[in-house]
Amino acid sequence: MNLIYTSIGFFALAALLGMYLLTFVLRGKETPKAIVFSHGPMAVVGLVLLIIYIAKGGPNPWESLVLFVLAALGGLYMVSRDLTGRPIPKVLAVGHGLLAVGGFVLLLVFAFGN
Amino acid sequence: METRSFWEATTPQRPVYPTLEGDLQVDVAIIGGGITGITAAHQLARAGKSVAVLEARRVGGGTTGWSTGNLYVPVGPYLHHIAKTRSQEVASTVAQARFTALNFIEQHAQQYSIDCHFARRPWYFFTQEEDMASTIEKEAETLQQAGMAAELVTQVPGLSFDSVKRAVRMNGQARFHPLRYVLGLAKATTQMGGQIYEHTTVLDLKEEDDHCLLTTTQGTVTCNQLIIATHIPIGIHTVQTVAAPYRSYVVAMRLKSGTYPDAYYWHNDKTHHAITTHSTNSMELDMLMIAGNHHKTGQASHQEYQHYFNELEAYARQHFDVASVEFRWSAQHYRSGDGVPYIGLTHKGAKRTYIATGFYADGLTYGTVAGIQLAEMIAGEKSPWLGAFDATRGTNLATAGQFIKENANVAAQYLKDIPAGQASHFSDIEPGEGKTIEVDSEKLAVYRDEHSQLHICSAVCTHMKCIVNWNNAEKTWDCPCHGSRFMIDGSVIEGPAILNLERKAIDPRTGHLVDSGGKTSGEREINNPIT
Ligand SMILES: Cc1cc2nc3c(=O)[nH]c(=O)nc-3n(C[C@H](O)[C@H](O)[C@H](O)COP(=O)(O)OP(=O)(O)OC[C@H]3O[C@@H](n4cnc5c(N)ncnc54)[C@H](O)[C@@H]3O)c2cc1C
Ligand code: FES
Repeated sequence: MNLIYTSIGFFALAALLGMYLLTFVLRGKETPKAIVFSHGPMAVVGLVLLIIYIAKGGPNPWESLVLFVLAALGGLYMVSRDLTGRPIPKVLAVGHGLLAVGGFVLLLVFAFGN
Repeated sequence: METRSFWEATTPQRPVYPTLEGDLQVDVAIIGGGITGITAAHQLARAGKSVAVLEARRVGGGTTGWSTGNLYVPVGPYLHHIAKTRSQEVASTVAQARFTALNFIEQHAQQYSIDCHFARRPWYFFTQEEDMASTIEKEAETLQQAGMAAELVTQVPGLSFDSVKRAVRMNGQARFHPLRYVLGLAKATTQMGGQIYEHTTVLDLKEEDDHCLLTTTQGTVTCNQLIIATHIPIGIHTVQTVAAPYRSYVVAMRLKSGTYPDAYYWHNDKTHHAITTHSTNSMELDMLMIAGNHHKTGQASHQEYQHYFNELEAYARQHFDVASVEFRWSAQHYRSGDGVPYIGLTHKGAKRTYIATGFYADGLTYGTVAGIQLAEMIAGEKSPWLGAFDATRGTNLATAGQFIKENANVAAQYLKDIPAGQASHFSDIEPGEGKTIEVDSEKLAVYRDEHSQLHICSAVCTHMKCIVNWNNAEKTWDCPCHGSRFMIDGSVIEGPAILNLERKAIDPRTGHLVDSGGKTSGEREINNPIT
């Protein structure tokens, strides 16, 4: 279970930075790249820990993993748009956040639910 | 002292080429009118192709007109290093290609009677440090294996340096006036039917199945083949992950004695200094130049950039009887992963688009190599040099370290873009000073001129969004990621960025940003002192 708790820790930090980034995207401002390149790697570490946990077998939060993977793909797409000078669609940024929040909630339920 | 290129100042008549108006269709379009683009255009026009050069500013006004005018077979990253990262065969091909290019320049300067002061003379590479001796020996050996007449010597004539530990000499190298040469070659190209357009910035390029399409500030150009001869490919390109940009500095001086050594010297100890001499108006030598002190663009270790010029001047005064400093300038070079330039098709799937980059500070010769090779490739001939220079060769194990180092460095630049809040304000900026500050969550590049007038642009580089840094010697904004550089009004000087920094305005009553609509252009001329 330690892996799951650490993963939750990384996702929580990533979520805080993500919310901060969202305020830039929604105002149509350039995202601060130090935050972009901290948010992504933190979420990736959380995701890798989650995958290791699931790979060990037993009951697992696979629904959470699916949502996080979808969120990660959206995130990669947004970074590529951002760095190549194309605007980030606000709906995509919000959707990415909602997917990640969904995954996070499911992960919390799995870890602390019962 | 303002920065100004000796070559620009000593080119008497500069022909004016028209700006492109309307649309154009040619066999080959070439972006960039430096030595690479003009040599390629010359070769293609001679082969009967219809060719158009599209130059954002003036022909030869890029790095070519801001170099140091030396022609030589050896290379800055050392041939013995290339023999190690690639093979002796590649090192030999590089040497032979450069030898051919040097002869090409001599032959064409004579054929077209270009008054570019071309003269043969020796190249010396020497050190005063025992540690460097083996480097010189290895370089001499690799040159000899490539069939070049390099020989170890004990004397370095023309200089009075004590205790030279090791030196190598190669005769038959040369000097010339690069700007006059390129302008002469451009004239010959137009006489063969080649078209040259100045003040025509390419904003977009696309390779389709059966043609390439360029969008410029004035019109579109449709062509069968396209050469990107912009020193580093414009826009986003994978080669930018290895072709790191470096700035180096040049100081040109007159000597009290009026006696100038007639050779080109590399003095490599812990630091590298290149020593050369040139002539202003006749074949008579009357100018000493010292070049060196490179650092990654936008990442100077000395915030006071004048330091780099001062250090070169101090070096010159230590070794020569300097009468006066006449010119100071700096310019940029791009490296490569394995020490060999990238010349050829732009990527594995490309059929019509060619690039030439990664020349280090050896690109007057390499630009000529590239022009010859690319014209051969486009004419369907088999280029004997392609195996060495192939631009699609990618990274191998020997160069992976370089790849990782460069990209870690770029990542570190992105990580500096932290939200700073209102850390500094317009009032913190002194006249003549530039600073990046943050207003309304936006990073701004702000320069206050001598009349206290503010010039405000977005500090976000239009290439891939790193934050630009102030260069106080040249009064420019330099991007630390891939070397794009911008004037104080935001217009692009060089590097991969195509669009200017977005211009911004502040409401003087509230101190807040005025919405400028987020528009930016590619026009280069605005207040741009660099021709
Ligand atoms: C300090 C210094 C000294 C050097 N000294 C020597 C030397 O002694 N010997 C030597 O061999 N090499 C030397 N070099 C290297 C050499 O100067 C360069 O490698 C060479 O000039 C590159 O030529 P180029 O034609 O490829 O690029 P450039 O001369 O830079 O030409 C590129 C052109 O493309 C144009 N361009 C860019 N973007 C666009 C666009 N979007 N649309 C249209 N046009 C565009 C630019 O305006 C420019 O004119 C030196 C380099 C430095 C930095
Ligand atoms: S040059 Fe690439 S981000 Fe500025």
